[in-house]
Amino acid sequence: MQRSILRDLLILLGVFALIWLAASLFHYPDDPQLLSIEKEERLGEAYVDLILLNPMFRELENETIDSAVTIIGERLEAGLKQSDYHYSFVVFENKMINAFTVPGGNILISTGLIAFCDSPEELAAVMAHEMGHVEERHVLSRLIKELGIDILTSGDQYVLGEVTGRLTSSSFDRKQEEEADRFAAELLERSSIEPRTLATLFRKLEKEEDNELMKHFEIISTHPNFSSRIKEALLYEPGDDFEARSMDLDWASIKAGL
Amino acid sequence: MEYHPIPQPEEIEVRVREDAMGAYFMMFATTAMGLPLPILNLVAAVVYYYVNRDKGKFVQFHTLQSLYSQIPVTLLNSGLVAWTIVNFAKDYDFTSFYWGYLVMCGTAGLVYFIFSLVGAVKARKGIFYYFVFFGKVAYHQVYRIRPEHGTSAAQNRPPNY
Repeated sequence: MQRSILRDLLILLGVFALIWLAASLFHYPDDPQLLSIEKEERLGEAYVDLILLNPMFRELENETIDSAVTIIGERLEAGLKQSDYHYSFVVFENKMINAFTVPGGNILISTGLIAFCDSPEELAAVMAHEMGHVEERHVLSRLIKELGIDILTSGDQYVLGEVTGRLTSSSFDRKQEEEADRFAAELLERSSIEPRTLATLFRKLEKEEDNELMKHFEIISTHPNFSSRIKEALLYEPGDDFEARSMDLDWASIKAGL
Repeated sequence: MEYHPIPQPEEIEVRVREDAMGAYFMMFATTAMGLPLPILNLVAAVVYYYVNRDKGKFVQFHTLQSLYSQIPVTLLNSGLVAWTIVNFAKDYDFTSFYWGYLVMCGTAGLVYFIFSLVGAVKARKGIFYYFVFFGKVAYHQVYRIRPEHGTSAAQNRPPNY
């Protein structure tokens, strides 16, 4: 009898442990993991092509700027521990201070933002923050939640238009912003860029919060508490072996080409 | 190990059957009360057991089975309430393990509900219905023949010289 009771108990525990495990591993319909990176990259390319057709987001053709952004991007990519994404950084002509993430590792940066940054490190901080949204798949999560995975992957022209509209005015919740900030600080450190540059950037953004040119800037679009973000950035302590390495870019002359 | 013989349906009085059935239905009545604080269900089950334990082994078996099966469900639900509060209070993520746990709690609740419903109907008919594990534990507890001990009266003796 006692052995039979023990056997029943083990069966019961086993069945419920399996239910817990299976339900935890199951991908729910709004889980971004349902969409492979390859599929996301293909969708991302289509979105970018469509966004760049818009006169407000016309791609900048300036080798100096492109090469500066590429150098910064390569430094950051080298600092990534591991990534499934092939990053693409595109600069578009717009005096608005803006940068946003498009699924598939595409980050679009406005010329206004480059003009706003006083150093390549500040631009690197913004790019690292956007890369945080890419790696955490925040954009995709939001799109799947808002539109559903079936609509998102339909490839329909109207859907593409709708998605690109949402991407260019993207905003994330406070938690996602914090995750991206933390990711950015760690990535900057691994890329030998002073992670507390984020604090400098936030302080500048705080001062300019009411600036009309920034009204679409994703980093500040969720009414962030700048004080706590500055504090978090300042509290971030790089490892003992951290040594900042200069970007080796003549930022003033690069900006002069804008 | 020896057990007391179990009665057949026709040997069980209707009042006894109804008391046995009440053990399960009482759970449903307290479910709404127990939703915010699952521990209340358990308190109600314990009270019901102590109030009805003298009404015979058939009633004892069903109240104990209902009480025992209530314990894990209560613990699971309490865990869920605590996890949810902590997540909100500390602004933690609702991870896939949380959602998995939620599904497991829901499944456990549903299984418990179905078993209790069947148990109540069977009890009303004077039938023994054994839940997996809990049925055997309750039967063992109620119908086991306990060895008698401590029956001889104490005797006073003079001191040893």
